[in-house]
Amino acid sequence: MTSFAVTDLNPVGQIAAAALLGTAGLFVLLPKPRGRSVAAGLFLCLAAAVAAGLFVLSTFGRPSADVVGQVLFWLFAAGAVGFGVVLVAQRNPARGAIAFAFVILSTCGLFLLLAAPFLMAATLIIYAGAIIVTFLFVLMLSRTEGPSDENDRTREPLLGSLAGFAFAGLVLFALYLSSPASASDGAPRPLPAPPVTDADRADLAAAADALEKAAQASDAKDLGRLAREARLRLGAVVGYAPGETPPPGGDGPPRPTVQERLQPARTDARTWTVIDQADKLRDRAKDVSDRLDNNLLGANPNLDAVRQDLNSLREDTVLLYGRGELPARNVSAVGFALYSEHLLAVEMAGTLLLVATIGAVAIAHRRREGVA
Amino acid sequence: MIPVWHFLAVGAILFGIGLVGFLTRRNLITVFLCAEMMMQGVVLNLVAFSRYHGNMGGQVFALFIITVAACEAGLALALFLTVYRRNRSLDSEDWQAVREAGLPPAVDVEPLPPAEPEPDYPTLPPAGAKPAEEEPARV
Repeated sequence: MTSFAVTDLNPVGQIAAAALLGTAGLFVLLPKPRGRSVAAGLFLCLAAAVAAGLFVLSTFGRPSADVVGQVLFWLFAAGAVGFGVVLVAQRNPARGAIAFAFVILSTCGLFLLLAAPFLMAATLIIYAGAIIVTFLFVLMLSRTEGPSDENDRTREPLLGSLAGFAFAGLVLFALYLSSPASASDGAPRPLPAPPVTDADRADLAAAADALEKAAQASDAKDLGRLAREARLRLGAVVGYAPGETPPPGGDGPPRPTVQERLQPARTDARTWTVIDQADKLRDRAKDVSDRLDNNLLGANPNLDAVRQDLNSLREDTVLLYGRGELPARNVSAVGFALYSEHLLAVEMAGTLLLVATIGAVAIAHRRREGVA
Repeated sequence: MIPVWHFLAVGAILFGIGLVGFLTRRNLITVFLCAEMMMQGVVLNLVAFSRYHGNMGGQVFALFIITVAACEAGLALALFLTVYRRNRSLDSEDWQAVREAGLPPAVDVEPLPPAEPEPDYPTLPPAGAKPAEEEPARV
């Protein structure tokens, strides 16, 4: 029932509803000697999760373009948040540690969705593999029988829940302010725009597709038609070189080209490279199409040379398509960034680990009488 | 373009829930696990921005955070063992003697529920003892 009421609210109301329901739910769920109700707490927490999910869905849109990505995102997000609530509300700390392991598993799934497979493996091995097991060892060394002060009581459950959920609600509100849903026209966007937009991507993908088909075409007529189509698509994204006549149907690009769009933000070094790359692709498309026309008009066209040209033009198109994305080889890219830009930090992290090991041994060491 | 806000929202909610546990729970180990969960929320933000900007910096930061978290876990567990040896309990309220001057002490009013009776586990007779009576021979 709550969800139907929440859909009518504006985003701020949705955030407030989620925060208040979550506060009430966790207050009821937190361990206390009297007045703890697991069913009511779970119901309130579920209602809060539904309200938060509706806020995210209605304000930021769908998390992924394809169904599989959406299902995986909601699965992992719900897993992380749900097992997090279990960790906070669980009386038995050993079960809490297992719930934390599931939180780690869920966030590792989110890392995979964010194209960070190396980080996923590292987090799984270090957290779920090493840290949780160490925690379980300490829990076994220090277990208490029956109800105890530390497991069955909480400090200020209402104020604590209110503080945590007020913080989360404020962060969600700040996210709402920075999202496209709340942006009015002309207001500066707090997050930088991507160098290649979705519409550009669609055209570049279609151009690469047409170029590939053109390079495989056996007929000179088909080849020319497909190459013209690719040129139209490329012209819509990177424009036409000076002195180049747009093919029929290509006059008046439907939107500003990549270079025109990025020109105001030229202060960023990343922007220069994108503009240069787009300019090069534009000039190259002109060269290729000129040579193609000359070749096809000749008495016996040399189709192999044309195919080579088209293939290399396709490679450039795909490179521009991938601008602003992470490199495909994640492990080598992480390694390169670690050992080229952050070498000193790596050394310091190693030193920190060594010092922490020595410190842990020194602290946990049992000192005997008369021995220093 | 990936929508970065979804992942930031999940990170914020994880951080908030972890904060609730950090503020309210009294078992030191649970408190520490909640702090680690808050850290996972932050790491999620870093990785999401890494994807959004197409830049490996965020993932490298996340790796360093994991390293520091591992150091932290080792040291914290050593401290917990020492605390347990001294107090026979991991209650954070045992340390309220070091609170700020002028604050009233926190007193637990509500009595704890009685311990549940131990379930009746089957026991084995001590090895080597003579059986009470002769068992009838079975054919």
